[in-house]
Amino acid sequence: MWMIALQRSLILCLTLVIISLLAFLVPYMSGGDPVRTIVQSRVGDMAVDPAAVEAMRVHLGLDRPLYVQYLGWLWNALQGDFGYSFVSRSPVGPEVARALVVSFTLAMTALGIALAVALPLGTLSAMRPGKAIDTVATFVTQTFVAVPEYWFAPMAVLVFSLYLGLLPSAGWEGPASLVLPAVVLSLRPLAYFTRVSRAAMMDVLQAPYITAARSRGLNMNQTVVHHGIRNGAMPVVTLFALWLAGLLGGSVVVEVIFAIPGMGRLIYEAVVNNDVPVLQGSFVCIVALSVLINTLADALYILLNPAVRIRHVH
Amino acid sequence: MSINHLAPSAPTILEPARRTEPSTVAQAIRFIRQRHWSFAVGSLLFLTIAVLLIISPWIIPHDPAAQSLLRRLAGPSAQHWLGTDHLGRDLLSRLLIGGRFSVVIAAVTLILCAVIGTLLGVISARTGGLVDEIIMRVVDLLISFPDVIVAIFMIAIFGPGYTTLIVSLTIVGWTPFARMARGLTLEINSREYIRAAEVLGCTKTFIIFRHVIPNAIRPIAAISFLRFGHKLITVGGLSFLGLGVQPPNADWALMLAESQAYAERAPLLVVAPGLAIFLTALSVTWIGQGLEMKGRNASKAAQ
Repeated sequence: MWMIALQRSLILCLTLVIISLLAFLVPYMSGGDPVRTIVQSRVGDMAVDPAAVEAMRVHLGLDRPLYVQYLGWLWNALQGDFGYSFVSRSPVGPEVARALVVSFTLAMTALGIALAVALPLGTLSAMRPGKAIDTVATFVTQTFVAVPEYWFAPMAVLVFSLYLGLLPSAGWEGPASLVLPAVVLSLRPLAYFTRVSRAAMMDVLQAPYITAARSRGLNMNQTVVHHGIRNGAMPVVTLFALWLAGLLGGSVVVEVIFAIPGMGRLIYEAVVNNDVPVLQGSFVCIVALSVLINTLADALYILLNPAVRIRHVH
Repeated sequence: MSINHLAPSAPTILEPARRTEPSTVAQAIRFIRQRHWSFAVGSLLFLTIAVLLIISPWIIPHDPAAQSLLRRLAGPSAQHWLGTDHLGRDLLSRLLIGGRFSVVIAAVTLILCAVIGTLLGVISARTGGLVDEIIMRVVDLLISFPDVIVAIFMIAIFGPGYTTLIVSLTIVGWTPFARMARGLTLEINSREYIRAAEVLGCTKTFIIFRHVIPNAIRPIAAISFLRFGHKLITVGGLSFLGLGVQPPNADWALMLAESQAYAERAPLLVVAPGLAIFLTALSVTWIGQGLEMKGRNASKAAQ
């Protein structure tokens, strides 16, 4: 058990080193001279003075060897200091942290909606295969994955904001503005959760302990509530973590459409404005978080499921 | 039980060899009839869309790029069946031609992902040890990674372009295939005929290509079809953000992005391109679903 934990944390560290190296090299990989880019961002459209570029290079310490620069950058990054945004001139660290909170709220709401619908739907359809509820579940799993969010979002805005005037069409003020984006974002995870929880529940209902519970005189609903759900929900936990990690930065389109100041929009705008420090900071943070979330989910899975735990020990 | 060799054997009547192979068409029909109905419906729908996209340059009523500011945001008429957009371009023509880039990009990406993922997964499972460990840890790392973000970073570094798009979506996209192919291979590995092949002295490469991959191909094909919609929507999302297909070209997602502001005045401008993406994604998902209904036992073992 401890060996696995140790091994996992080593891999975690190695990953972070590789990712930080990649992020550090972003300005060098894109071809241009990073110092020139910085000076250009200060002077706007005016011509860049070569002497100013050299002065800036020395001032920023970019004339030192690359590995010294990397170690210095890494040391600062570990303390949450990724430099200053080219555009807003404010420190990148707090900016990323603010965006992460927003994206986390949005992702958790969306996944909460997905889970609240998918778990009962998947469970019920597994209990009554071929019946009406199963048809609904199949329809959901097939249709919802095919809905592009950049189509569903404007249509939802059209109906609920413009025609009915119930919800705000964009922005990030209060819970009301959370509803539309979260619902739009929840469609695809909802489909996958339904699919997985149905399949898992199907398997669980075949298990001997379900037959045992039934033969003790419990009816179907009692059996599922007491014995089925906890085991059937197991694969969904893993999937939930995967989606949480994915949505932290992966909801770019929805965040751009609804003007939500989250991680996705931060990255998108950094790309559009060629804002290298923001790109680096958000890249490192997102990868670190997604790796961390997945490692935690694995740990949780092992802790919850004794069978897996035993298999891992041997 | 013993056999009495002296007993007179019953005269055997030899049937004339009448086993003719059924025709290809009959085989295809039989294949389709064995599947779930969604396979047939999905195939039909997707074939229609594909044919329309292929022949669109010759059947479109107007030049999809021709602007006419006098006729901007016009409703449906005899001349423009679906009306025009904010620059007076014919919606029907743009709709017919607008899926070419994204569907091809999505398909190419998906094939690359499936091939690379399957190979790495099979190698991982057949080799085991350190190779297996490394490949699977890389999969663990990448599988949770949002492909949109990777694509945006790649585009930020290397600039927009179809190659960048395909490469960046493949970097993350191969991982589910690798995980699945590994699971399938481990299952196939425990079968008798693999033991038999090993005892007969077949090489590792031979076993992989002769026994493992042919047996794993059906469930992997099903998953490929199921993931196509996701790829198509991702490519569209990047185009929507202005990082995929570039503006002079007509593209469904790009059309959606351009007509956002006019959604209230001309809802059809938003409804139609989205519906096109949705139907394309749905039809391929149905194909995958139909394939999976039959081969479910094989695919379940991989999870």
